[in-house]
Amino acid sequence: MRSVRVTKVLRDLSSHWFRTLLVVLSIAIGVFAVGVILGGRQVLVREFDREYAASQPPNAVLYTAPFDERIVRDVLEYPGVEAALGRRSAEVRYSWRGSPGLRTLRVVAYEDLESISVQKVVPEQAGHWPPGRGEIVLESSAKQTGDYRVGDVFTIAREHDDPVGVKVVGFAHDVNAFPAQFSGAETGFVSFATLPDLGLPQTFDQLLVVFDQDGLTQRSASRVAEGIARDVFEANGIAVYATDVPKPGSHFLGDIFKAVSLLLLALGILALALSGFLVTNTVSALMAQHIKQVGIMKAVGGHASQVTAMYLGMVGVYGVMAVAIGLPAATVTGKWFIGYAADILNIRVVSHAPPGWVTALEIAVGLIVPLLAAVVPVHAGTRMSVAHALSAAGVPTTEFGHGRFDRLLGGVRGLPRPVALSLRNTFLRKGRLALTLATLTLASAVVMSVFCVQSSIDRTIDDLDAWWRYDMEIRYERPVDAQVLEREIRAVDGVSDVESWITAPTSLARADGTRNETLVTQGVPADTTFVAPSVTSGRWLEPGDTDAVVVNTDALKAEPDLGVGRRVTLAMLGRERTWRVVGVVKGQMGGPALFTTRDALATCLGDAAVSRSVVKSTTSDAQEQQQTLERIERRLEEAGYAVAETHTVADLRDQVASQLGILVSFLVIMAALLASVGVIGLTGAMSINVIESTREIGVMRAIGATHDSIYRIFTTEGLVVGLMSWALGAVVAYPLSYYLTAGLSQTIGVPLTYRFSWSGVGLWCAAIGVISIVASLAPAFRASQVSVRDAIAYE
Amino acid sequence: MSETSSLLSLRGVVKVYDTGEVPFTALRGIDLEVHTGEFVGIIGKSGSGKTTLINMITGIDHPTSGEIVVAGTRVHALSENELARWRGRTIGVVFQFFQLLPTLTVLENVLLPMDFCHMWTPRERTARAMYLLEQVELADQADKLPAALSGGQQQRAAIARALANDPPILAADEPTGNLDSKTAEAVFGLFEGLVQQHKTIIMVTHDNDLAQRVRRALHVSDGQIAEERVLRPRHGA
Ligand SMILES: Nc1ncnc2c1ncn2[C@@H]1O[C@H](COP(=O)(O)OP(=O)(O)OP(=O)(O)O)[C@@H](O)[C@H]1O
Ligand SMILES: [Mg+2]
Repeated sequence: MRSVRVTKVLRDLSSHWFRTLLVVLSIAIGVFAVGVILGGRQVLVREFDREYAASQPPNAVLYTAPFDERIVRDVLEYPGVEAALGRRSAEVRYSWRGSPGLRTLRVVAYEDLESISVQKVVPEQAGHWPPGRGEIVLESSAKQTGDYRVGDVFTIAREHDDPVGVKVVGFAHDVNAFPAQFSGAETGFVSFATLPDLGLPQTFDQLLVVFDQDGLTQRSASRVAEGIARDVFEANGIAVYATDVPKPGSHFLGDIFKAVSLLLLALGILALALSGFLVTNTVSALMAQHIKQVGIMKAVGGHASQVTAMYLGMVGVYGVMAVAIGLPAATVTGKWFIGYAADILNIRVVSHAPPGWVTALEIAVGLIVPLLAAVVPVHAGTRMSVAHALSAAGVPTTEFGHGRFDRLLGGVRGLPRPVALSLRNTFLRKGRLALTLATLTLASAVVMSVFCVQSSIDRTIDDLDAWWRYDMEIRYERPVDAQVLEREIRAVDGVSDVESWITAPTSLARADGTRNETLVTQGVPADTTFVAPSVTSGRWLEPGDTDAVVVNTDALKAEPDLGVGRRVTLAMLGRERTWRVVGVVKGQMGGPALFTTRDALATCLGDAAVSRSVVKSTTSDAQEQQQTLERIERRLEEAGYAVAETHTVADLRDQVASQLGILVSFLVIMAALLASVGVIGLTGAMSINVIESTREIGVMRAIGATHDSIYRIFTTEGLVVGLMSWALGAVVAYPLSYYLTAGLSQTIGVPLTYRFSWSGVGLWCAAIGVISIVASLAPAFRASQVSVRDAIAYE
Repeated sequence: MSETSSLLSLRGVVKVYDTGEVPFTALRGIDLEVHTGEFVGIIGKSGSGKTTLINMITGIDHPTSGEIVVAGTRVHALSENELARWRGRTIGVVFQFFQLLPTLTVLENVLLPMDFCHMWTPRERTARAMYLLEQVELADQADKLPAALSGGQQQRAAIARALANDPPILAADEPTGNLDSKTAEAVFGLFEGLVQQHKTIIMVTHDNDLAQRVRRALHVSDGQIAEERVLRPRHGA
């Protein structure tokens, strides 16, 4: 026979099913949040690390004149070299069924696709590997930018020949490749046999090297790379154009990834705390409601430990139910979330299973957190003397109202038990309001901060827009003569003005003898109207400047030696000379850049040929600009110019926005999760209020209140709490959004200009208003259904 | 009467409530002896200290000073927990507002004290509960929830619950206060029957008619036993 005590626990759970549902949901959302957020984070980090480590990422990449296998063998002999691989990489223009205009494809060709020893690629199941002649395997991230499928044919433009078709035969994942959605260009792997078809030579022009990992630093890697360039390449008469030495062990997306992962961790902990609040709230209220029953049970012989066990058992059942709901829900959603994030971050996920400790933590959150939250209120409830327990619940709380504060004060002296009880009651209610408000306020603050991050991103892009005074940009494979070129472009329909720049990869000699190889110098006409520089110190270029260089803030940040007034030695395309820094301009998100007058740069290089053209359009319509750009490209191709890449500024802006949008989309998911915790909290608190006010509601009904007016009283209460949380949340969001933006900006290395989002605050005001009314609908409905008879029976 | 023969004895019991702004003395030195089989009525006007007094006897509340010995147990010296167990087996408590647990059926409410105090085997418990419900003429209502019962039925169920562990003493605070006179009469009849079975009953009441019929009536006034009236001495009955 089942014990009556167990019967009572089960009966309480089922007869107050609405409360049971709320408590279970409050706990389940915590389990869910921990599972999705922390589980997602752990899986992403684990899969990323695993794949990155397995890929043999290069410690240096040398961009060189053509070389062959013999050089690679020499490099392998070089001290400190573990692995080396030669490959050819080229940008070609292609069209396919998914895009009418031409797109850029980065073709990477390997001599032996079966054994890629550095920066390994992992072929996907579908399709086949290796690609044969006339075939291409696309890097998996291409799926993010278009509906690419096995069997598609790319029509690739060739300089001196008719276009050639290559067939997509599969996909392969390269964790080190720059994802297509970030770069705007797809990557494809081909065999050496295909190179002649594309009009490309069967030689290497890139060397990927892995060094001995023992005590490897960026500096030491740099030194070895320089040694290889000098002793192997240059000694054999092969020019090295640029060397890229990343920080060892750090992926280029690592910073974004770190930001996302940190964010997930912080939000996971926050969600956990909020869920703890909810549980504390509901369990405290439950005990407050049951004080009299506790008293009765003790009056008929119940031992405090027996009664405690009953209530902890009840909370335990809540926990088991919450885990039963939260755990599978988290598993399903977590899988979706991991897939979503993995696609964006271009991570290949082998196993979606979170580590065991996350599952253990979910179960602990579901079972232990509620019990911990319950221990204090249950203990307080069951230790209360029978006399107080019976009298406390027997008297309507409103009758205490007036003297409560006095008693609270009186209690400070020695806390006699009756005082302790009423003090506890007060605290329960105030505490509930505080906890509900805290939950909703935090959620509101996070939501509004997300608006602010979005607003800051918009502002940053607006700043970029202010810099860009042109609409389209064309890059050439080889330097070309500006005059003829500009005449051709000007003749195209839809072009209003054109200007051409010289771009030179630049190496800066640092004071300590090391070099920064990653800079780029743009030679622009001094009186250009194609950019509107925002000068932060010094001045912009002036006509007649011969040795003046302007740096952007990104360059200054990377190289503090580039301050205004400093003299610096720059090597461009092998020519070294001294320049004078005259000004600093705001960065344009393109990374560190230097600007000189076009004439000065031409003089320095001994060549006036330009490498890119910027074009102003007659229209501001993005669609029409795209068409104009296609017309320009066709005309240039016909005139024999090799175009490397074209883009409209509108596209570039979208690309930047979508990169930053990734962070925002993560933030939005998390904010939505927090907001739902807040809403469940509000509904819970409102329901508790309704239950505790049953007698008052009955009295109001008895003296003529209609269903409607009761309904309104409670929805208004919900609205007031919602609006309070909005106001408090806005106050919290002010600093929070600033630090969030600054933190994101720091970790992803993109300078964001902070802007508070007043429209976001306004929007959330309306939204939280609606949400809090919706959240109180169910409790208010229950309140309106209270009959006078119920209220009296509630005794 | 010798001290040992009394079932219940109070010596100089004082109760001071210090909740209000000024401490309030609700009981001012109560001395009382009750013997097995007595039916004691406590009467007095509202606020005189009747509930306070009965709460001292049941151990629901603690005296400020004085001694309370019930069936050989020094009640005032017990902890809350010891009290709960002791009370469960020694005193059946009947409240003015019935106080049945709303989510348990009538039968389960009666089973609860036996469950708490581990009295009898589970099978015997049900049989006993049904027997008690028959006694109070509620056997046909056993599986209903309290809310579905009338006030009188609820109070009879509460009495059955109070008798669950077969305690020698029954303490009732205005058990008929919420019942009409006819129902009150039925409950009172039940009590008289219990006295026949050698239970000792202490009952607070406002009902003057009923007060007239108890064998021993204590008149409480201003925290003291102002008057004691013994109607029909039990000796020889
Ligand atoms: N918890 C308490 N705190 C302070 N004073 C109290 C408390 N309980 C009772 N009193 C006071 O002690 C006195 C006696 O109260 P008690 O409840 O014993 O009266 P009563 O005789 O049972 O009255 P009634 O017939 O109305 O039930 C009253 O004046 C009351 O105000
Ligand atoms: Mg009373």
